[in-house]
Amino acid sequence: MAQNPFDRRRINGPEESFLPVFEPGQERPTTWNARCGRQSTDIRQIFLQPGLISQANGSAYIETEKTKLACAVYGPRQSKSTTYSEKGKLNIEVKFAPFSCTRRRYPLHDAEDRSLAVAIHQSIASSVRLELFPKSTIDVFITIIENDGIEGCVASGAIAASTALADAGIEMFGLVTSCSAAVRGDDIRLDPTEEETNTSDGVVVVACMPALSSITNVWQSGRITAEVTLRCMEMCQDRCIDIHSVIAHSLSSMNKAP
Amino acid sequence: MTFLLPGQPVPVRTPTTIGPGVYLKHGQLRASLAGTLADDPNQTPAIHRQRPHPPAPNSLILGTVTRLSPLHAVVAISVVDGIPLPAGEEFMGMIRTQDIRATERDKVKTTDCFRGGDVVKGLVISLGDARSYYITTARNDLGVIFATSEAGATMEPVSWQEMRCPITGRIEKRKCAKPENL
Amino acid sequence: MSSDALRAQIFQRLHPHAYLDRFLAEGVRPDGRESCAWRDVFVNVGSISTADGSALVRMGKTIVVCGVKAEIAEPELDSPDLGFIVPNIDLPAMCSPKFKPGPPSEEAQVLSERLNDALVRSNILPLDTLCIASGRAAWCLYIDTTCLNYDGNAFDAALVAIMAALGNTTLPQATFDLDTSTTTCSRDVHVPLSLNKIRRVVGLSFGCVGGSTPTLLADPTSFEEPLLTSTVSIVVDVEGGVVSVERGTMGENDGGQGETSASQDTGSLGECILMAKERAVVLHKLFE
Repeated sequence: MAQNPFDRRRINGPEESFLPVFEPGQERPTTWNARCGRQSTDIRQIFLQPGLISQANGSAYIETEKTKLACAVYGPRQSKSTTYSEKGKLNIEVKFAPFSCTRRRYPLHDAEDRSLAVAIHQSIASSVRLELFPKSTIDVFITIIENDGIEGCVASGAIAASTALADAGIEMFGLVTSCSAAVRGDDIRLDPTEEETNTSDGVVVVACMPALSSITNVWQSGRITAEVTLRCMEMCQDRCIDIHSVIAHSLSSMNKAP
Repeated sequence: MTFLLPGQPVPVRTPTTIGPGVYLKHGQLRASLAGTLADDPNQTPAIHRQRPHPPAPNSLILGTVTRLSPLHAVVAISVVDGIPLPAGEEFMGMIRTQDIRATERDKVKTTDCFRGGDVVKGLVISLGDARSYYITTARNDLGVIFATSEAGATMEPVSWQEMRCPITGRIEKRKCAKPENL
Repeated sequence: MSSDALRAQIFQRLHPHAYLDRFLAEGVRPDGRESCAWRDVFVNVGSISTADGSALVRMGKTIVVCGVKAEIAEPELDSPDLGFIVPNIDLPAMCSPKFKPGPPSEEAQVLSERLNDALVRSNILPLDTLCIASGRAAWCLYIDTTCLNYDGNAFDAALVAIMAALGNTTLPQATFDLDTSTTTCSRDVHVPLSLNKIRRVVGLSFGCVGGSTPTLLADPTSFEEPLLTSTVSIVVDVEGGVVSVERGTMGENDGGQGETSASQDTGSLGECILMAKERAVVLHKLFE
């Protein structure tokens, strides 16, 4: 399927290769199945560990079942741009590990990396006190190790980035937490898996600062009525308060350790 | 001592001044860093955190001279206010000829004051231009603090304008900083 | 942080050579190890469900993850019975301040090439075992390693991760249908790779520093790496056989001081090989 772009800076494989095709029949139906072991308002357990990447100024590793990603913060560094700027710049880059998705991802930036970076930037940017960092850039690098739905990656990415920024000691107005929801008919499910988002009518991702009760980013796609969207946002915000306490716990236990 | 997180209200009534790590918005004082509130007798709420930070006006810096021109010396800043930046990270600074020394500014030649590789202590005077921070060494305690002679030995300052090589005994010209323990 | 610790950090930042030298003169390294001590290694296999095989390796503070993805390709015309292995390592900007975003750095390119070499030379995975139907279909294994935290010696860590990930990889049973010219895979039957286990290899790297006390350092960290005058990297298999030895001299030679006479050189190389074999026994145990 995917053409292997020849790149002399990498070890190259055959010109073309294809995903294995499985025999028909026993395929598990991908439908809006009832969740097992989880209520529709439950989110998956979050494992969050700041400070794993010793080379970075701050970092965080987050795992919510099958979504795993690592985030590192470098800086404030001197901006490379040639124009003087009073405010600092927040630079977010997202990279998928080649083995993080069902299909192998060729190690080139594609549109999905960028849109993910933009969504996470949107969630985080207004929480950082960029006016304190003239002429400087704060680099936030995220590597997705295992992907179980883009919405989950956006939400987990924002949580990891905010935790890593706090770990790096970058001044912020508040911690950002984020939660996603998938909708099918009247059914709303929080923190959906990839299978659930694929079979849903639409999804909503909300990022907010629970301490200031303000929303930093809402991302809705698909066919959902306005009322249901608002209900999703409320439910996500409720969950964000729980997630906030997960971050608080990880940061304070980190602070006691050394 | 309570541990605060960014965004959490700071339990202080009416602060007159606010320190680093906290901010005031809509009449509410909140933390902007994760940490504990400094116990300050002056009642200035602040959360202190030692981390590498970019130079600001009045920052004391240490850096290595990387380039010389008749008009200025370029310095790679590696220590800001006594805190080293992580390996591989540095900020660009510039010492213009008029900022090298306090007197006879118009007679200064950069090559009589610095050489590539010298470690310089300086004070940031302004954020400078897009590329570099402007630095001054026009003070007794500022200038070259470490230099290697042409013979490859670490030199000792003999006056504020000269250093001597311990191997050859030769004198080389530098704008030296007054050693701290004198 | 105490002011003494800060002063030491400033000294380390401004004069890294002298800083390392002072430690070595006392017989220890900045991280507290003896000169020929190795960092602890932890391996965690199979945690990534999107990969056909995976491993996460921590070597001291260095962290690498390796994932294997299997796809199906048509064999090359001149070798109709051989599959493909495509190992690459990525040193992203995330893992260290010295790497910048963008295409693979020179360091990453060299590392990928060396890992490929170790895989091919060791013949741990004979390519003919990846054949599904001669001339028509064969497995292509993309073996991608990503560094999450770079604290030196990525080669040794990556090779452990690759070996562990290969050991963890299973492929679905594949059958090639001549009539339709398609390969179909079984959903239920997965088989492990036919690894040539006695040919499994591990990498053992050393660095040499000059200065006032020339010392051999095993498993160098990212602080030590730029200060080395030469490096030795040895690849050893399960039976203690040496698969390859690479010796490199770094650019940091100060006026011939880093050069050693030929006899001295073979002496230290012999010493390295002995230590590498000893350490290889410990590393190979990790896979059992």
